Amino acid sequence: MASLVQPASSLMVVGLNHHTTPVELREQLAFNDGALDASLPRLVDTETIREGAILSTCNRVEVVAHTPNLDAANEKIRVFLAEEQRVALPRFAPYLYTHVNQEAVSHLFRVASSLDSLVVGEPQILGQVKDAYNASSALGTLGTVLHRCFHKSFSVAKRVRTETSIAAKAVSVSSAAVDLACTIFDHLEDKTAMVIGVGEMGEQAVRHLRGRGVGTIMVTNRTFRRAVELARTCNGTVVPFDQLDKHLHLTDVVIGSAGSPHYVLHSGMVEEALEERKRSPMFLIDLGVPRNFDPRLNNLDNVFLYDIDDLEQVVEDHKGERQVEAVKAEAIVAEEVNKFWRWFVNQEVTPTIVALREQAELIRSREVEKTLAGLAELSPQAKEAVEALTRSLTNKLLHPPLAYLKQRHHNGVKREAEYAQETASPHVIRQIFGLDTHEE
Amino acid sequence: MEVWLLTLTLLLYLLSTASFIVGLLSARPVVRTIAPSCLLAACLCHAGAIAVRSLTVGYFAVTEVYEALSFFACLTAGIGLLVQWRLPVSILGAIVSPIGFILTLGVYVFYTQARALPPTLQSAWLPIHVTAAFLGYAVFVVACSASLVYLVQEKHLKQKKASSFLRRLPSLETLDHLNYRSLAWGFLLLTLGLLSGAVWAEYAWGHFWIWEPRLILSVVTWILYALLLHYRSAGWRGRRAATLTIVCFAVLVVSFVGVQFFPGRHGGQFG
Repeated sequence: MASLVQPASSLMVVGLNHHTTPVELREQLAFNDGALDASLPRLVDTETIREGAILSTCNRVEVVAHTPNLDAANEKIRVFLAEEQRVALPRFAPYLYTHVNQEAVSHLFRVASSLDSLVVGEPQILGQVKDAYNASSALGTLGTVLHRCFHKSFSVAKRVRTETSIAAKAVSVSSAAVDLACTIFDHLEDKTAMVIGVGEMGEQAVRHLRGRGVGTIMVTNRTFRRAVELARTCNGTVVPFDQLDKHLHLTDVVIGSAGSPHYVLHSGMVEEALEERKRSPMFLIDLGVPRNFDPRLNNLDNVFLYDIDDLEQVVEDHKGERQVEAVKAEAIVAEEVNKFWRWFVNQEVTPTIVALREQAELIRSREVEKTLAGLAELSPQAKEAVEALTRSLTNKLLHPPLAYLKQRHHNGVKREAEYAQETASPHVIRQIFGLDTHEE
Repeated sequence: MEVWLLTLTLLLYLLSTASFIVGLLSARPVVRTIAPSCLLAACLCHAGAIAVRSLTVGYFAVTEVYEALSFFACLTAGIGLLVQWRLPVSILGAIVSPIGFILTLGVYVFYTQARALPPTLQSAWLPIHVTAAFLGYAVFVVACSASLVYLVQEKHLKQKKASSFLRRLPSLETLDHLNYRSLAWGFLLLTLGLLSGAVWAEYAWGHFWIWEPRLILSVVTWILYALLLHYRSAGWRGRRAATLTIVCFAVLVVSFVGVQFFPGRHGGQFG
C-alpha cells in the first residue's frame, strides 16, 4: 500500500507525456498561460496538497505536488485535471503516470535536464521548467520543499549540460552538416554559403547555417523564380543558375539540394574555384538524391565533401555517443536525487528531534519543580542530585527514539524501503509521543 | 636550490600534461581552466631554475648542454602557453607540456657543475643570439604541432569519421592560421638568430662566416623555411603546407641535434 511507504509527507508527480499519450489528448490537457494562473490556486490547499506546480508544454502535462497524503493527493490531481480541462477522466487516466518520492524527484530532474525529452538534450525544456516554477512561485503555491526541488532541478540540468556532451550532439542531418562546418571553419560570420536547388533538405540546412550566423547566403536554381522565393525566406541573394561557376570561388560552403539527374559540380569547376580562392578550404554538402556533386571531389585537397549518407552516418554515430553520455547524465541525476532526498528527510526529522527533546525537558523540569516544592528541607547537594537523576532518566528514555530518528536520517535514502516496512517514521514518532497535541 | 626548482618544474609539467589530457577527454570545464595554470606554474618555476643557475655562475646560463636544453624547454612551454591563451587551441598545451617534461628529464641526464665560461663566449651577443634562435625553434615547435593536429583532423574529416573528441580539437581554419602565423614569427626569429650569430662571429673570430656543418645546416634550414613561407603566402594551404612544415621541422631537429656530433668551433658544446 502506497500510504505505508510515505514519510510524514511525500513528493509526487502525476502527469502524461509524449512517450505514451497521443498529441490530441496532450493538446486538450495542456494549460495555456492564462488558464494556469486561474487553475493552479485551486489545486493547492493545506490538507492534501501543501505545495504544487504545473509543468505544461506541448510534450507533457505534469503536476508536481508536496503532500502529507499520497492517495488523496493522487485522486485530487486526477479530478483537478479532468475538471479544469473539461476532459473526462476515463479518457486520459490510462495514460497517467504517478511517480512518488525519490522517483518523483528523479523524474523532475530528468525532465529539466532534457533526458526525458523527445529529442534528448534539446535545450528548450529547461526554460519551460523555469517558466513553470516562476508561474507557481508568483501564485504562491510553492513552499520550502518544492522551491528547493525546482532550484535543484535547474542546477542538475546545468551539471548535465556542462559535464556531459549530451546537448552538443547533432541530431538531424542538417545540424550535423553545420557542426561539421564548425570543425572546418573557425567562425561562420565571415563565410559565404551557396545553395544549389530549392529542395527541402537544402532549405533546412540554410536555416541552420543562418542560425549559426553564417555571413552571406547565395541561392541558385534552374527556375529563377523559386530561387527568389527561397532567397527571400533566408535573407540571401540570388545567383542565376548559368553563372554558378563564376560565383563558386566566393563560397566556403556549398549545399546541393537540386533534383538533377547529372552532377551539378565537377572537379574542373571546383579546381578552378580553388585556384582562384588560393586554396581556401571548401565544404561541399550534397543533400541531393541522386547526388548533385561528383564524389571524386572529396579527393581534392582542401575540399571536404559529405553526401547524405555520410551525414546520416554522422548522426548515427552521435546517437551512439549520446547513449554513453546519457549514462553519465543519469549518474549525475541519481547523485543529486540522493542529496536532495537526504535534505528532504532531514528537514522532516530535525523538527521532530527538537520537539521531542523540548517536550521531555518541559515535563522533566515541571515535575522536578513540583516535587522539590514539597521537599523544602533538602540540601542543595540533594536538589542537585534530583536534577541529575531526572535528567539522566529522560535522556535514557529518549535515547532509542532519537537514535532511531538520527539513523533513519543518516541512512535516509538507501534504506528507505526497509523503513517503509517498519512503518515507523517521524510522523509515527510524533504520534506516539504526542508531539502534535497541545497538552492540558 | 636549482635542482630543487627543477624537480618541482618536472612535477608541474607532469601535472600539466595530465590535466591537459583529461581536459581534452572529459567535458568538464573545470579541468580546462586548471591545466593552463599548471603550465604557467611550470614555466615560472622553470624560469626561476634558469635564473638561479645564471646568478650562481655569473653569466646567462645557456652554454652547457643541459642549460641549453633547459632554456629551450622553458621557451617552448612558454610559447605554447602564450598561444593557447590567445587562441582556442588547448591541444597545444597537451603537446608542449609533455615536451617540457621530457626535455626537463634530459636536463637531469646532462646535468653538469658550473665551470668558467670560455673567453669566446663571454660576450653580450650570447644572450641575443641564443634567445633569438631558441625562440625561433620554440615557435617552430608550435608550427609543427599545429600541422600534426591539422593532419589528424583533416584525415578524419576526409574519411568522415567525426567523433566528439575531434570536435574538441581546433577547427582546420584555426590550425592553418596558427601554422602560417607561427611560421612567419619563427622565420623572423631564426633570421635574427642567424644575423646576430654572424655579427658575433665577426667580432669573435674575425669573419662572419666559417664553413662548418653546423652553420651550413642552419642556413639550409633557413632557406627551407624561407621557401615554405614563400609558397604559403602564394597560396599553399592545408595538408600540403602542414606536411612541409613537419618536414622542415624534422630537418631543423637533425641540424640541431645531429650536428652536435661533428667537431666545430660553433658553440661551447651545444647551442
